Formats: sequence, C-alpha cells, structure tokens
Amino acid sequence: MQLLWCLLSLFIFTFTVRAIHESEVGIVDWHTKLVGVPMYASHLTKPVFHEDTVFTATSNNVLAALNATDGSIVWRSIHDAQDAIMGFKVHDDSLYALSGPAGSTLRIYDVSTGHLIHEKRLHNPMEGKIHEPPTLGLALTLVRAEGGDQSIVLTNGHTVQCIHSSTGEIAWEWRSEDQSSLVMYTHIYPDTQTSTLYVAGFAKSVRSYTLHVSTLNLTTGGVIASVNIPASIANTLTDFLLLGPSRVGSSSTTSIPSDANADAFGPSLVWLSPSSTASNAPLSLFSAPLSPPLKGKVLTIPNTPYKHIQDVGLSDNGLFMAFRDNGTAEVLGYETGGSPVGVVWDFGDVTPSASTSGSHFVGALNGDGNPCIGKIVWSNLHNQVIHQTFEANLQQGTGQVTGFTFPFETNEHGTIRHVAFSPSSHLSPTNETPHKLLLVTSTGSLQLWDRNVLQWVREESLATVQTVTIVELPPTREEVIGAGVGGKSESFWSKIARQIGDTKNLPHYIIHFVTRFVTGSYATPSSPISLARSGPSTSTLPHLFPNRSPASPETLVRDPFSFRQLLIASTAHGKLFALDTSTGAIVWSRILGLGWARKVGGRIAPAKAFMVRKTETGGGNGVPEGQEGIALITQRIADNTLVDTVIFHFDPLTGEDIKTVTSTDGVTENPRVNVKDACGRWVSPLEGVDAIAGPLIDVFLLPDGKDTIGMLDEFLQVQLYPDTPITRASLTSLAPQLYFALRAGTQVLGHQLGLNDELSFFHVAFPTWGVSFGEDEEVVAIIKSANKGREVASIGRVKGDRSTLYKYLNPHLSVVISAPRTSSPRSGTCGLYVVDTVKGTVLYHVSLPVVNGKCDIQAVLDENWLVYSYYDDDAEAGGAKGYRIVSVEMYEGNGPDEKTSSSDITSYSGKTTEFSVYEQVFAVPHGVTAIATTTTKFGVSTKDIIISSRKNAVHSIPRRLLNPRRPKRKPTSEEAEEMLVQYDPALPDDGRLVLSHYYDVADVRQIITASSLLESTSLVLAVGTDLFLTRVATSGTFDVLSENFNKMQLVLTVVGLAVAIAVTKPMVRRRKLREQWYQ
Amino acid sequence: MKLQLLGISAILFSTCLCLDLTGHVQWNDICPNYRVLGPAKVVLDAGKYSARITRNGNFSIPDVDPGIYALSVTSHDYIFDQFRVDVVDSTSPPHVRSHILGTPLISATSAFLRYPIVLVPRHKNNYFTPRESFNLLGMFQNPMVMIMVLTGVMMLGMPYIMKHLDPQTLEELKSQQGKIASIHNSIQNGDVKSGLSALLAAEEESKASVASGRAPGNGTTIQQRKAGRGSRRR
Repeated sequence: MQLLWCLLSLFIFTFTVRAIHESEVGIVDWHTKLVGVPMYASHLTKPVFHEDTVFTATSNNVLAALNATDGSIVWRSIHDAQDAIMGFKVHDDSLYALSGPAGSTLRIYDVSTGHLIHEKRLHNPMEGKIHEPPTLGLALTLVRAEGGDQSIVLTNGHTVQCIHSSTGEIAWEWRSEDQSSLVMYTHIYPDTQTSTLYVAGFAKSVRSYTLHVSTLNLTTGGVIASVNIPASIANTLTDFLLLGPSRVGSSSTTSIPSDANADAFGPSLVWLSPSSTASNAPLSLFSAPLSPPLKGKVLTIPNTPYKHIQDVGLSDNGLFMAFRDNGTAEVLGYETGGSPVGVVWDFGDVTPSASTSGSHFVGALNGDGNPCIGKIVWSNLHNQVIHQTFEANLQQGTGQVTGFTFPFETNEHGTIRHVAFSPSSHLSPTNETPHKLLLVTSTGSLQLWDRNVLQWVREESLATVQTVTIVELPPTREEVIGAGVGGKSESFWSKIARQIGDTKNLPHYIIHFVTRFVTGSYATPSSPISLARSGPSTSTLPHLFPNRSPASPETLVRDPFSFRQLLIASTAHGKLFALDTSTGAIVWSRILGLGWARKVGGRIAPAKAFMVRKTETGGGNGVPEGQEGIALITQRIADNTLVDTVIFHFDPLTGEDIKTVTSTDGVTENPRVNVKDACGRWVSPLEGVDAIAGPLIDVFLLPDGKDTIGMLDEFLQVQLYPDTPITRASLTSLAPQLYFALRAGTQVLGHQLGLNDELSFFHVAFPTWGVSFGEDEEVVAIIKSANKGREVASIGRVKGDRSTLYKYLNPHLSVVISAPRTSSPRSGTCGLYVVDTVKGTVLYHVSLPVVNGKCDIQAVLDENWLVYSYYDDDAEAGGAKGYRIVSVEMYEGNGPDEKTSSSDITSYSGKTTEFSVYEQVFAVPHGVTAIATTTTKFGVSTKDIIISSRKNAVHSIPRRLLNPRRPKRKPTSEEAEEMLVQYDPALPDDGRLVLSHYYDVADVRQIITASSLLESTSLVLAVGTDLFLTRVATSGTFDVLSENFNKMQLVLTVVGLAVAIAVTKPMVRRRKLREQWYQ
Repeated sequence: MKLQLLGISAILFSTCLCLDLTGHVQWNDICPNYRVLGPAKVVLDAGKYSARITRNGNFSIPDVDPGIYALSVTSHDYIFDQFRVDVVDSTSPPHVRSHILGTPLISATSAFLRYPIVLVPRHKNNYFTPRESFNLLGMFQNPMVMIMVLTGVMMLGMPYIMKHLDPQTLEELKSQQGKIASIHNSIQNGDVKSGLSALLAAEEESKASVASGRAPGNGTTIQQRKAGRGSRRR
C-alpha cells in the first residue's frame, strides 16, 4: 500500500514538480539563521560562557550555543510555545535545561553537538503553577556523587528531585509536606561535604514575607530540619539570597583547617529587611549562617542602610553586590575563610549622573577559579564604555581591580541591557587569557568584545520582525535614459556629451558582447547577482550576522529582473533594518527614536508600514520630486503606561528622515537628524511624528492617489497624515466610499465615516452593521483579501466544454476567524466566515474543531480563492485525525456561463449573494503555521499556495493539486484538457515541493510574497525566528531563456548544418551538370 | 530501579489512568544514526502529547490519557510511517496499528504492530532535481536529431543503393512507380475536370508530364514520389 502510494505520488509528480537544482542553493535563496534576543531577567536563563561557547536561552524560545570566537551558531534547540524554556545550567560536557510550566521537563544535551541525551518529565504540565515571573520557584544545580553526576532540581516551588545524569532516572524526590501552605521555595544549595541540601524560600505573612529554610539529606532526600526565620521581606525576587560558604570557589580547599567545625562553613542566608518595625525604617542587611540542624543565630551586617542587594551569579562562591543609600556599590562576602559576611570591595559611587549611565555588575569565575565581578558603565564624556574587573582571592583575603575602555557604538546599538563575561586571570600574568564580554543591547543585538576589540555582532532583533515592506530599487542610469523616463528629454548637446563620455566604456562593451555571444552567458534568474558594484567595505566589523553590505544610493540599483529589492523590516526592539533581498545582507539600519518618552523609557511596537508616494504639502520641507517613502505606523508604549501613535516617515533606500511636518507646526528640526558618521551610520535615531495621543484602532490608506494615511483613534475619529486642508478635503469627498470592519469582542462591526461640523473637526466612524458569531465566539482575526487593490488578470476560468466559470470578485471580502471565549475553552467551535465588509453579509461559513484549547487556523483569500488549514480531530468511524487544507473557490451564478459582474456591481445589489462554491479538503502530513499565495507583476501566472509547516520547512503547493474541481474518478477528456487530475485525499509529501530544502527555517509566523520584473517569478519571504527568501516560478520561467537552454547545442547544430551544406553543395552542382549533359 | 520508579509514579499520579508511551527508532541504511536524523519529535494528534527522540533513538511520551491517537514523527529530512495508537488503560500495553495519511483512522483491516513502537525511517527527502548537462550522445539520442541524420543518410546513400540493386527489382520498382504515376495522373485529371484552378492544374500537369516523360534514370524515383505527394496535398 505504501509502495502504491509512493508510486502514485511519483506518477503525479513526474509532470508537475519543478524543484530547484542543488547548485542554485544560496544563489536563488538565502537563509538567515537566528536565535533571538537572550532572556537575561533570570539567573537560570541569562547567557553564560563555557569554554569557547556562549549558551543562551532566548525570548524566541530557542536554546542556543554560539561560538564565542566567530559568533556562529554551534547548535540550537527550538522549543514549542507550550514548552517555554525556564532555565539551563552547563556542567562539564552536559547542558541541563528546564522547560514547560513551572519546569515540567528536564532535558540533558551534549554541549558540543546539542544532541539530546535524556528527556525527563518531572511533573505533569497541568500541575505546573504559573508564577510571575515564570522562573520563580525553580532552581537547578549539579553535584558530583558516587556513580556519576546528579542534577538536583527544584520545580513548582515545592518539589525537589534528584536525577542521575547518566541514566535520566530519578534517585529521590521530596515534596514539602504542606503544598497548600504559602511556603514557596526558590533557592537550593547542595553541600557535598556534609551531604546536605539547603532549600530556602519564603512564606507570606500578614504584611510582608518571612523566610523558610529546610535541610535535606543529599543521598536520600530525607528531611533533616526545617525552620522559619522571622524576617519581613518586601520583594521576594531580589531581597534575599542563599550565599555559599567561603571555601567554595577557592582553588585551595586544603587551606581550611581540618579541625574546624564543619557547621561554620555551611551557606548563609542573606536578606534585606527593615531594621525596626517603623513603617519607614531604613533597610538593614541580615545574615544567618546555616548548618544541617539549622541551629544558629541571625547576624546583622554593619554599614546600614542598604538600598538593595544583587546576586551577580557568584552567590554559590560567596560573593554578592549590595548598594547603599548613598549610591555606593559594595562587594560583600566572607573576607577570609570562616569569617562572617562583610564588605570585600568598594566600587565607589555608581549613581547615574550626567556623565555616566547606570552601572551593570556581572560575576563569573576566571580560568584560575577565582570569582571576578565586572562593572560596566557608559561614559558620556568619553563616549566609551568603562569596564572594571574586580578579582577576589578570598583565601588570601586580597583582591585587585583592573580596567579598560572600549568603543561601544551607542548610535547603532542603543544602550547596554545585559553583560555576561568570561574574565581573564590577572593574578597570573604569565598566561594572557582572553577577557571576553558579551553585551545584549536595547536594540536586541549581541556583541562579543575581547578586551577592547569587537569580535562579532549578531543582530538578533531580526528574529522579532513585526512589519515587512518590500521596496523595488530604482533602475540604473542607463535604463532610465534608455526608457526615456525621467520627465525631461535631454538636449542634443548633452546627449552628445553623454555619448562621448560613454565611449570610454566601448572596449569593455565590445569584449563583453563578444564573450556573451560566444559563451552564451546571459543574465539568468539563477545567476548570482553581482555585488561588485557596491563600494569598498567601510565596515570595520570583522563579523556581522547577517552580513552587512554598505551601499550608497548609487550602488542601490536594480538588477535586470529586479530580484534585488530592499526589505524594510521593523523589529520589536525599536530598530529598522533594510536587507538586500538577493543576499540577505543588511544595507542600512537605524534606531527608532522614542521622542518625549526617552526620559521615562518605553518601547516602539510597529503596527503597519505603507509605501507612500511623495506627499504634497503647503510647506513641505523639500521632499525630492517623485521620491517614495515608507510610513511606519507604530504605537509607542512608554514605561509610564502612556500609549501614543507615532509615524516614522523615511526614505527606504537610505533610512533618511523625510517626514512632512506642516510649516505651521513650527517644529525645531534637529540639525543632526540626517547626519551620518564616517562609517556611514546614522548619528541620531529616526524620530517620528506623534499622530494620535492615544492607541491606534485601525489604519488605512486613503484611495486619493496621494497615499494619505488615515488612522482611527480610540474615539473612532479619523486622523490624517499628512494633515492638511487638501487631504481633509479629499477625505470628505471619499468618505462615503470608505467601509471598515472592526472587531468588537464577540462581533464584527461595520463602520462608515461621517463629519459633524458642529461637534468635531474630525470625521468619526459610526457603526452601520454588526454581525455576531454565536454566544461564546470571540473574533480573533480579520484577514483582508490578499489581492486588494491589485488588478485581476482573468475574470473567469474556461472549462473543457468551452463554457466559462466567472470568478466571484467582490472587492469587499474579508475572512473573519472566531474562537470560543477563553472562559469556556472546552465547549464550542472555531469559526471561519467570509464577510462582505460593506453590508456585513456572511457569504461563507464553516465551524472547525477546537484543538488543545486553541483555534489554530491559517487562512488566505486571494481573488475568489480561499485556502485555510485546520486540525481535524474527529476519530469517529470514517474520520481520520490529521491536518487539513481546504481549498474553496467562489464563482458567479449557479453554474457556468452565468455572470453577475460581481467586481463592479454595488454591494447593495441582491446579486452579490448569487454565487456558487466549489470546495475540497486535502490531508497534509504536518501542521501549517503560515499560508500565502504567490504574487506576480500582472497576476497572469498561476497562483500557488506557499505554506510553512511545523517541521520548519517552507513548501509550495501547486494550484493544480489544490483545484477544488479535481474529479473523484478518472478525468474525462474534457477535464484532462483543463489539466484536472484525479482527486487524491492526501497531498503528496514530496521533498521537491519544499522550497527551503535542507534549511531549517525555524518558527515561521508570516509569509510575504512580492513580484519581480519577471511575470513568471515571485519572491517568497518567510519571517519568524529565522528569515528565508527564495524565488518561485509557478508556471515555469516562460519569460526567460530556459535554464536548460544550451547555446552550445545550438551553435553545434548550426555549424553542423553549415558543414552539411558545404559538403552537399558541390555534389548537387555536379549532378545538375550531369543531368544537363545526359538529358 | 525501574520498579521503584514505577512505584513512585504510581504514588504520584494515582488519580491518573494514563500511561507512558515508549518506542525507539530503528536505524537503517536510510538513516543510520542520530547525527543525520537531527532533532526529531514524536507527536500524538496535534501536539497534545509529544516527546523528542533522544540520542540513542528512544522516546517516551509521558502521561498519555486513554484514547485513540494518530502518532506521527516530525523530522525535517526523513519520512516515517504513521501509526494509530489505542491507549486503553495504564496497565495493558497500547494497541499499535499502521495508519496511512488520507485514510480513515479506524479501519478493521490493519494488524497489530508490536509495542514498544518501532519507528522505521522510510525515505529521505530529495529536495533537488539534477541539472541537465550537455552531452553529444544525448543530443544524438534525441528523436528529432535522429530523423534528421537518417534523412541525410538516405539522401546521400539512395543513389548508390539504386545503383547496386539488381535490374529485375529495378524493373519491378519502375513498373510500380509507373502505376502510381498513372493513378496520380488520373486523379489530377479528375481534379481538373471538377473545375479546380486552371493554373494549378497546368502546373501539376506539366510536372507530371516531366516526371513521366523523364528517362527512367537513377535517382528520379524520389523526385517522382515527392511530386506525387506534393500534388496530393494540394
């Protein structure tokens, strides 16, 4: 049966599949492998160095190992959304990772290869309690024991499990007796010397939190003791820590006197709480040395008052940071072995000031095993980062500080958010080990510095792309002149001068012509696009992921087929990138400015980007003629919870600010707004215009030919950009033709615009219709038609019997997807509706099953063709669980040759509901994460469906396979003429349909298609954690010379014919002569 | 140890009737080890339960509730069989049957497979088509080229063949050609009679007369035939 199926698929595919050639990999496509921006909030997830590798868990739910020397990805493990990474720890050559709700799964990886060694379920994900932050109540530590390493895991705040690393089996488990109590354990510390595990946590008391410690036997898991320590802690996340004993981390454990009382060397619990019961009493630091029977007393650390304490990752080694009220930062620890906790080092005043930013402190062990604490501070005076390292030698009670500065590019990368480091050993100057610093910046870039030399940069914010616009590059100068475009015809003399100037290129042209004629090397769609035109690399960075190709406007010209376009991507980390679609290299990048929110902090959430033409304004500030810009509409979410709608308007080729500010505004222009530095980078961030002082509800492009942007604010008032009397007037004239469908909880409301001069200056949207989709259904998404505003190449489909099915081309269709409300996740169904947005008629409706409490439906509507995917979980008789793709086509009238001209008639006509539906369901082997149709210049080529699947691949599905009119029997000759093939419920899982071939394109969220100059070829971009771009030719490359065209063959044939003529000519002449003689 | 583990899990999940579904990958020539397989996952239904395949090829899906599931493997480069798994309760082993995409999940026919589940890599995805390269032999294998070459050979070789034929067969051929020619003539006459263009007929007639009037020498047969065929077409 399997064989039969394979044969069948093979048979179908011998004449449908157009796969790429292996040699075209990397030429027609590119793949930028990313990992995402590291999560650094928790100690368990922040990046760590291990030998020459950096390990990090990222907000894209990826666990990654990066090569610290060149920044490449050594391996990565991509987690599902429901299996979020909670933390990891590297120990020897294994990496231990906790994931899932409250740490439900432990996985052990090989650090060098990323191979999964063990996967162990610690508790059912249903039992995992969700805390804020999610990593609360989790801890992971490794101990060496007889018979191999053991990992000790605290999950869910109350369960400790000991797992054999070699077998993955649980050695023992301990649960706090009273799980319902308010005790939540957060810290563990194993003491192998006394074979004791210290478990510390907090318990809620009346006004604040008290501390709770238990000790367990490390080999059996039995409880030794458990005490409550009276303390009143305000913040359970930051105000207490478990400090390892002084001997740990020192290289010479033998120096501990053997006769010393072992109890004295247990860990200490350190916390910050008010020194008295008064409401505003200063905070004091307390420490309690712990021993297995938990007997001892609480000590007060002098030097009050302290403001806060910070664990820099060295608490197991007996060091932490404490900050005094006067701004002094101190390193606290045991000064010598066995002494109480005290100040070890004083970093001085670290309060942010005009000259310096706030300081970052980071701790790590150096090559000698000595704990080091690094301080990183940005200096406005030097425009550099000052880095100091304190290296402690606790055994000798000494320490030393070294420092250097390095030139961090704050204009390019924002501010430093997190630092991880791998310090060199200064106490042994003989071996000059590298001193590596990993910076995570506010723009989501990852940088590795070795002392003051930048090793590499990874632009990881590209894993969080929010909006994408694909912009065509301008034609070359020759093309412009050749086509006679550009408005003005040049004068005779200038033409002569230009042609004389061009003669210097003549020898090159002749050589080029001859070689092209002889070898037949024409520009083909699969030939690499030469970047030789771009100027010498001005970038000083040795490695950059993805590569940066600096380009000036002169070099930014399109190639013969316009495969080279610019991809303008806005990211969730407030940075704009322009990528070259032919290589994936960054052409330029720019930070989005925060405006007034710079002082309070905030973030920019891009909502939508539009390509707009030149805007004519009264006092426009000199926008060059015919220049196109991109308007990026964003919401600025300031840290003080204020939300504004901000528009950034810039030139897509350079990133230059071209915002059109009305002259009446009187905005004082920043003189540095469009200034670049010597390396061609923008000096200042791109600043936007505050369009709405509030959130954005909907945004649309006014069809007035000038690309004015209309925005609906929370009061449903229409704000315009640019806002001038001319645009206002055009809005007034166009208002009756504008319709909006907006989600409103359980229903979709249709709106129109009206203006009441007496009440408001603005047009206000008012509801005209409402459709609700059942009691418990909530509107999740409104998907607009993919071909909106584009010409339709053919309005019908001619059948084999010469009758025509006319496409139902209602221009106001939208797809609405609804899901059952979260309050009732078990019952109910998901819904998919096709709605006419003018009058709210539901034209097509299906109910789809809810799977795992979610409605995982992807849909695309293009012209009259709707394709959607879902999971069918019906296992009843005849049913088959599996992923489905449904293809639906709508045609006018009740059958062939019936025409209602649906594209032109008014929506209020009753004829808009006269259409027939053809639909067919197909089974696919993997889930679909995004779906799109191909786009070509004129829409003549066949439209294929592009899907991304859960196995991290991008597939194309030919339209002929998804044709809903595929017959269920052997096709008749008429159907065969229409190229219909027999229906097969399963779409073939053929490798040659995988556009991304062996690339592992992680977690695709969106697929964007764009046209090229070739009608046959469409660009396909997949955006998710990774970026992937390829070209597809759905109907074959009919408009270029075939790849298989063989000029050699042609030349040989011509030569052969010429030889044949040369040979036969004398023969024929001879015979003619003979004929004449003998006749 | 295993017993102890079972005991612990029985205590922990005493309320749960669920079962740990286990199995392994059978390495074969298509996929010899974990390194070539890459990260792969075993999924029940739409991902309600799943487990990753570990380095030694094993997998274990914990706490599966009773029910009927479709088991599939998510692997980037390899295709595995699909299974139908019926989990009855926590004590008896689940029933495993093979399942083919696009067919009903519940069918009476399929036989039980063994448990723990054995996953066999069926084939590796082939993403590329080989590029067609130019080769001279291939060019001459092209039927069009072959016909061209044959015609050329015939044109050149025909006179020599005719020369070496024995006179008797030549006579026979001639007589046959004469017959054909006469038939053609009669048809052409009929055409003239039926009132086709006079000019055309005159041309044909002259051609025919040339053909018939020509001395039956070597090489004329082809010309005659060609003329005849040409006239028939007109």
